[in-house]
Amino acid sequence: MNSKKMTLMAIVLLLAASGVVQARIKLVALPERGATVIRLDNPQWTLIEEERVLTLQQGINKVDFSWKGVSIDADSIRLRALDHPGKEVTLLNVSYPPNEAALVWEISCADNYAENVRISYLLRNIDRLITYKAIADKPETFVDLKSYLVLRNFSGEDFDKARVLLDYGEAFEQGIDHEETKQMLFLKADKVPITKIWTFDAAKLPWDPEKLENKNVGIPVSYRIVNDANSGLGEFALWGGKARLFQDDGQESTIFLGEDVSGMVPVGEKMELYIGDSRDIVVTQRKMKDIQINKVENNNDKVILYDTDEVITAKIENFKDGAAVLTMIQHIPGEWDMEKCTVDGKEWKLGVDYKKKNANTLEFEIKLPARDEDGPAAKELMMHYHRRHVRPR
Amino acid sequence: MKRMMLVLFLTAAITGVVQAKVDLVTLPSRETVQLTIYNSADMTLVRESRALTLKDGKNKLQFSWANTLIDPTSLEMLPKASADKIDIADLTYPPSVRNLGLWNIKSGVSGNVPVEITYLTSGLSWRAFYMGTLTEDEKTMRLQGYVRVTNNSGEDYENAQTRLIVGKVHILDRIADLARRQYPYGRPGEAPPVAVPRSALARGEVRVLLARSRALSEKLAEKPKEIKKEGLSEYFLYTIEGTETIPTGWSKRLLSFDVDKVPVVNLYKFEQERYGNFVVRFLSFKNDEEHELGETPIPGGLLKVYRGVGDQGHLSYTGQSSFKYIPVDEDVELNLGAVANVVVEPTLMDFETKNYRFDRNGNISGWDEIRTFKVEVRNTREIPIRVEIKRNFPTQYWELKKNGEFGQFEQVDLDTVKFTLSLEPRSKNQFEYVLTTYHGVREDDWRPLVSEE
Repeated sequence: MNSKKMTLMAIVLLLAASGVVQARIKLVALPERGATVIRLDNPQWTLIEEERVLTLQQGINKVDFSWKGVSIDADSIRLRALDHPGKEVTLLNVSYPPNEAALVWEISCADNYAENVRISYLLRNIDRLITYKAIADKPETFVDLKSYLVLRNFSGEDFDKARVLLDYGEAFEQGIDHEETKQMLFLKADKVPITKIWTFDAAKLPWDPEKLENKNVGIPVSYRIVNDANSGLGEFALWGGKARLFQDDGQESTIFLGEDVSGMVPVGEKMELYIGDSRDIVVTQRKMKDIQINKVENNNDKVILYDTDEVITAKIENFKDGAAVLTMIQHIPGEWDMEKCTVDGKEWKLGVDYKKKNANTLEFEIKLPARDEDGPAAKELMMHYHRRHVRPR
Repeated sequence: MKRMMLVLFLTAAITGVVQAKVDLVTLPSRETVQLTIYNSADMTLVRESRALTLKDGKNKLQFSWANTLIDPTSLEMLPKASADKIDIADLTYPPSVRNLGLWNIKSGVSGNVPVEITYLTSGLSWRAFYMGTLTEDEKTMRLQGYVRVTNNSGEDYENAQTRLIVGKVHILDRIADLARRQYPYGRPGEAPPVAVPRSALARGEVRVLLARSRALSEKLAEKPKEIKKEGLSEYFLYTIEGTETIPTGWSKRLLSFDVDKVPVVNLYKFEQERYGNFVVRFLSFKNDEEHELGETPIPGGLLKVYRGVGDQGHLSYTGQSSFKYIPVDEDVELNLGAVANVVVEPTLMDFETKNYRFDRNGNISGWDEIRTFKVEVRNTREIPIRVEIKRNFPTQYWELKKNGEFGQFEQVDLDTVKFTLSLEPRSKNQFEYVLTTYHGVREDDWRPLVSEE
């Protein structure tokens, strides 16, 4: 089953083949593939390293390497002598025959050797995926995180036994046939702390739910996991992949919370997974004032420059039984200053109570207590601001 | 109609035998099964328990699911006993076979081992719908909530504990699409999953109806099954009492709640920009204790409203409204459509302009427009009603003076106001407002009506 029909290897000795030019003679010896390594540390390409024994004779040897039914990047093929590298076994040149998936190595040899060589090449259509499965506890404070490695081999080649290497961790032995997919557990981290985040972005979500006919506005909910030692992680970057999140329902079962795709998360960075929408937090945002002030007119009495006087209010209601912290993102275009910003009538200061994420984006963290007997917990954000030096369009 | 198969064979026993890898040891059947069905997406989490007979050493377990809609990438098996001695080395999806997974298990024990197998499947769905019956005086309503569970999965689930999830779950791929893939994880080079718009995930209408007299449950239940409701994360979990058997192709209707005497307000709304010149009827109540509700949110669905007529228990059909998800303590407003028996007529009674301003060339640069509106509201019904009238103005530079019985008045946003009136049966109300709007440079003289504090 090893080296099944696809990758052929033939050695042609120049001495034996002298005089024959047109028909390239193949198949002098077909050495068995020895130790094979599948390296999956590059996200785009898979590197195969295989060891074979070449029976080389003193003088010039031609080694023919050809393939069929597999997709090898011909420029990536490398040969390395393992027993007598350097002057004793020297690769002189590589030539590519016309209209063939093949190449010919010309090797100069100081003596007759049964030389161990390592051939490496980039092989297409064999790769790995990473998937995550996380089960949150009932209060949503941590997750038991599992990560699976999924090997997919559609390269055309069967690998009976190979050492599989990722960019970290120990290599492991695994065989995989053509068109086979294998899923293996490769990371298990229990009790990874999570932060649950609700986000209202005023640029993305509708402002006034009353104006929507019978539709709920879902506030996106995410889990945040930090890839660090505190989380029991932080040893290596977490590869990107699809993550499915579940929650313990307290009845020895789980429910499925949602799924998301994560990008690569380097050590120390955060992974944020959007699980679903909350319909128990309701934001009603309205513009209460938007007028022009400090107008400057030209000689024709035409306004050429003005400031604005704007008021936005946002009522935030929590219908949940539990407390929540809503991250509110507000946007003010152009040049502006905040005259007054309050939450429930109490003044909030920029840089102290709320953050400027960039020149035009503000971030508020609104702490919402749980709903009580009197009804939902409600907070009201008010922003009174001026946009400056606006030119009429 | 059993489409799912679980086959266990031992490699130890088949050494030497290469081609025919069948050395059937046990075919464990499903002992219990639990279904957690979602309604925001076509997706069900299935959890089944089976007892495997494992041998010390290497075991192979084959799981196949022809003609079902199982997402192979969601398959997971967990031993529920001796977990530290059982190592599930890998799950292999062999070449040229579809709908089959092969677990390689290294076991340190021999004998019976209970395992739990979970996976996501498509084809089971549920939806909520409601029936409301108003009393003749329309002061209260009996509200009955139902859930209807439909099995089009291709698999018969017998005696399954059935649970329903209320909530909007974020998913990347449709389970049905994953189930139909040729290779469980696709091939290298295929496009990675892209989030699909969630509206596209809605399921089509289900066609199967329940045969009238054929009881699906084995024995006649003495009372309708109860549905236990519990909040989890951002969702609500409904657990149907006992177990259910819903063969593929069938659906089943279950009572979710039945509440009598929910006090309702007959609310009528008028907003020309939104509803035209018609008054639209709403039924309003609150999902709280005062209204005999408020234990859990009410999932979205369609409500059909009837009204009791006479004392013989006859009904008259009032209309229907689709419901959105209603959190606990939130107001519910059910749109029952336009009506003719409540009338709101705004009439422009007077128009004048004044306070003209001129620029240096003698052209008009600013002015005020003053409009006097008379609003007449007529309730021709025999019940008391509440009417909300919204008026939108073309500018935010406005000023309002009111006359007569205008009820409650509030500014909604910068160019909208709302009048709320209560009307006795067969009564009429009239009020007047004078709207002054500032134009051109007169806008500079305008002062806001309300402060932001």
